[in-house]
Amino acid sequence: MSYSTSPDWADVEPIAQEDGDHPLAAIAYMDDYSEAMSYLRAVMAANEHSERALVLTEDIISMNPAHYTVWLFRAKTLFELGSDLREELTYLNAIALKYQKNYQIWHHRQLIMEKLGDPTGEGKFIAQMFEKDAKNYHVWSYRQWLVRHFSLWDSPTELSDIQSLLLADVRNNSAWNHRFFLIFGRQEQYPSFTPLPETVKRETEYAKTAVYSAPQNPCPWVFLRGILKKTKQPLSTIQSFAAEFAPFERPDEVKSSHALDVLADIFAETEGRKEDAVKVLDLLAQRYDPIRANYWRYKKARLTPIPMATTAAAA
Amino acid sequence: MSLVSGPGRGGGGAKHDLPEELALFVDKHVEYIQTLDTRRDELEYWLTEHLRLSGLYWGLTALHLLGHPEALPRAETIAFVISCQHENGGFGAAPGHDAHMLYTVSAIQILATIDALDELDLPGRAGKDKVGSFIANLQDPETGTFAGDEWGETDTRFLYGALNALSLLHLLSLIDLPAAVSHVQSCANFDGGYGVSPGAESHAGQIFTCVGALAIAGRLDLVDTDRLGRWLSERQVEGGGLNGRPEKLEDVCYSWWVLSSLAMIGRLHWIDGKKLEAFILRCQDPEMGGIADRPGDMVDVFHTVFGIAGLSLLKYPGLEEVDPI
Repeated sequence: MSYSTSPDWADVEPIAQEDGDHPLAAIAYMDDYSEAMSYLRAVMAANEHSERALVLTEDIISMNPAHYTVWLFRAKTLFELGSDLREELTYLNAIALKYQKNYQIWHHRQLIMEKLGDPTGEGKFIAQMFEKDAKNYHVWSYRQWLVRHFSLWDSPTELSDIQSLLLADVRNNSAWNHRFFLIFGRQEQYPSFTPLPETVKRETEYAKTAVYSAPQNPCPWVFLRGILKKTKQPLSTIQSFAAEFAPFERPDEVKSSHALDVLADIFAETEGRKEDAVKVLDLLAQRYDPIRANYWRYKKARLTPIPMATTAAAA
Repeated sequence: MSLVSGPGRGGGGAKHDLPEELALFVDKHVEYIQTLDTRRDELEYWLTEHLRLSGLYWGLTALHLLGHPEALPRAETIAFVISCQHENGGFGAAPGHDAHMLYTVSAIQILATIDALDELDLPGRAGKDKVGSFIANLQDPETGTFAGDEWGETDTRFLYGALNALSLLHLLSLIDLPAAVSHVQSCANFDGGYGVSPGAESHAGQIFTCVGALAIAGRLDLVDTDRLGRWLSERQVEGGGLNGRPEKLEDVCYSWWVLSSLAMIGRLHWIDGKKLEAFILRCQDPEMGGIADRPGDMVDVFHTVFGIAGLSLLKYPGLEEVDPI
């Protein structure tokens, strides 16, 4: 549609972009976009929060959804008009599904959701987003916000949704992170919070099962280390488990560099096992993870601590 | 993210076979950046207007690293930057766009790069202090973090940007620095990385912003260097490129986010520099200039600057040295 010939817009004098005398900002907009933007500048200048302004923002968003100013103006207008925010969500769903990498839309959705105060339906929409990209960082951040804002820590659907995502792709680190967040995220607000022992047990078993299905997948290994750290258990708790995937005395049978790494860390802290730590670190540097050889050599060098006494000489 | 992408493709597309031993096509890249602003007959030029000031910063930085600081006209650059400023001291992405943290940071970075920060204090202009207070007012006094604009979206990107710009302006005293530092700490994860907010998945881009903020605040002592260095080095995949998160595809822009973070904590040697260098060079368009995210994809200025900055950190011959922060 053309704004200049529409009766709805006859009373508005569009404001063209100033191009001044600096060529870097000179103007050569494509016609439709340029025209719509000039009307946006006019309604913004007049602080006009109206239905037609909403339609105008939709038009511009359809051409350029990353234009942050348009979103802000739209939010203001929706709130001024007291518009139906459920309807706004339906509109947003379509845009989000179309423009996966867009930043602006998520903050806008958060503003709407805060006003609305009811997350019903968000799980379904998020599932649709994940069908397109189950690692979309914006969506995961938004999901964490929902959990925190609406206190969904123990919501059964949170855990079951994560379950099905990991079933579809056990290497989805975002899903693993969310799983961890559901267990320990409350510590941010309530530092004394500790998960129930059966939860810790369930999660540990879950991660171990995932390792069996793909021993070289880094995600459950990191998850296991995280659980041990948060619940103050020593790494050696999983020594025999790790050894199943890293029989370092029979290098040909090693199935996981992450298991080797766990063993190296355990041996480094165990009296009388420094030599085994060296063996494991050499295997990593030379055979199982040579691209990070310098890192493994550094860890090896740290196995022999420098005597403290040498620093006194300088004084 | 792309900004005026194309016209070329990294690796030259299907019709060109790249030689085994690749070099950096300096002249092609200079020309590519110079012509970005002449492509105003393309719709995409205008659809990326909301990024214009950052685009200018990326292009300018690339030219400086390539040893051609003169390739963009200084006076026009200053005039454009100033034309994006609002009365409140903040800058929008282009004239008429709302003031926002990200573009205010780009504006200050551009002016600092061409040694023109004093332009802010000329008669009739808002002045450095005003810019400083625009940024400082976006700090949340309770959590120490920063919003991008009056609407309150927070992100460690904004926090890093605030510290970066204020340190260039010598106005860090305007904010509660210890509060900002403790917010960064709250975004640290057990895997050694940092996310966009407390509890969010570790992400190489967010790590750069968090470590960069700590570096500016003089608090790198708070970083778990070995754990973070390890996480960062794990971003290198078989082909030599770096990804931004576990089990994701490699992308040239992480050559900057990951590498500069490693440099800040003194662990650059934990990845294989030669392999990464070869990967970045494979993403060039040897004919029209520019660098893409991966070989075969469309080039753009964002990946061009981060590819070149990555090569600079790897001490690629002939490039100016880049500051990892």
